[in-house]
Amino acid sequence: MRRLLRSLARRFLAVRRTPTYYLPWLSRPGLDCALIIANVESRFRPGFSDGPFPVDVVQYDADGATVRRYEVVLGDCTDVVELALQPTPAGCGIVVVRGERLRSDLYVTLANGESYTATHGRGEFVEEYPAAARAALTVLGGALALAGATVAAFARDQYVYADVESRSHVLLMNLSNVTNRIRVAVRAEGRTLGARLIAVPPMGARLFDVGAIGGGGHDGVRRVRLTGNAWFNLYLVGAGPRDLEGPLSLMHVK
Amino acid sequence: MSSELSALLSATFYEEGYRHVIELVHQRDEESRRRLAALDVSAWDAEGKPVVTLPVDPRQETLDVDAILADYARGGRLMVVFDSRYDERIFPYRPHHYGWLHRRGSASPPLYYAVNAVLGGVPDRIGATGINNFETYVFLRRPVAERYAVLVGNLSRFSTTEAQVFTYYVGGTRLAERVELGPKAHAEVALRAEHAGARLERVEVKALFRLATYVVGRHARDGHLLLFDHMFTYFK
Repeated sequence: MRRLLRSLARRFLAVRRTPTYYLPWLSRPGLDCALIIANVESRFRPGFSDGPFPVDVVQYDADGATVRRYEVVLGDCTDVVELALQPTPAGCGIVVVRGERLRSDLYVTLANGESYTATHGRGEFVEEYPAAARAALTVLGGALALAGATVAAFARDQYVYADVESRSHVLLMNLSNVTNRIRVAVRAEGRTLGARLIAVPPMGARLFDVGAIGGGGHDGVRRVRLTGNAWFNLYLVGAGPRDLEGPLSLMHVK
Repeated sequence: MSSELSALLSATFYEEGYRHVIELVHQRDEESRRRLAALDVSAWDAEGKPVVTLPVDPRQETLDVDAILADYARGGRLMVVFDSRYDERIFPYRPHHYGWLHRRGSASPPLYYAVNAVLGGVPDRIGATGINNFETYVFLRRPVAERYAVLVGNLSRFSTTEAQVFTYYVGGTRLAERVELGPKAHAEVALRAEHAGARLERVEVKALFRLATYVVGRHARDGHLLLFDHMFTYFK
């Protein structure tokens, strides 16, 4: 029922969904972030396996501004290109990759010289709201924000983990052209620890420490409910005892 | 138990020294609190010998694998099998198991990963309609002090199988290794990071049926896990 209502609301608001492959990115001093771009999964797909494959990459900063555009060409379906992403002071954001015959998952990697971790991106969509819908969301969302609430168009549930040796950060990605007010509510051991409202600009991102809600004294599994007024996704950023100053891992979620 | 229930057989690998938690159900709806109908967890040593089978309360949302298996590992790697039953009306696709692991006392970050859903033993669905026993993974070519390997496990009840592990290096050189695995046996196949001066670029695993497969990266100094990820199928 909720899905049907959302679908009807999208039609009413004339929201357009553009298929998009995206990944998160993250930069910190001493930590290099690079994409691994390949089309190897098209290897046995007739009509998709012959190169070259031109690929366009757009790196968006945390505020949604374009950091840089990259043009990459894969010679054939086994060609692999490593693309180093540009660090910025904000240190996180979204990368959108477009290629007409690109049929592979792509990876984003974090390396510090000693180790590297990798995770894959998502082939989903970006939502485009027309001007009237954007204005309505701005007014309604602004009013609800005064009470710490948001227009509950999309929700996600996620477990996160924390203890004295590690923390979980959530990298929130706004996959729309409206400001996305995302309410993050955290529960542990059957009780609510707290909630916070985070405004993420269009195509922007926010790195959010879940432990900041309800204090750092709740080791173990926490349950996070995220509710936003437009389409969004998240990745988990794992941090060791040095938190964001140390090595990090980046992990996709369902 | 209703005959309308579907089955999901998933597997991960357990080693001592890690906090390791499995999400039995990836919740998508706070109100309905989805849960499995039944769940058995079993652990198997590298030769495929049963170590322990534990019935688990399917109402649990997360399972502390370390807490239930620490007494059984005895320094070795265990393959942990999650044999679950679920109602398709509750999980139209399938329930997703996710894992989180972190080496105790380590400066490394924790790793979060999707648990392999595996055919081979329970003739039911995992939501995949394409061939899913032919998988690949790509690597960053820059040298890092990390040792790569593929963990492969055979979840079948009766069949021995052979896995082929192909590694590809910059410039096109391909190396092949064959691994024979009896029922429930598992192995860690080391991948050479460099061959004849060329860096490792990609790995492929092929088998007659789907195996539990993870790509791992281990710290060069102490061998603890820095990378633990599933592979990707060519056929979607």
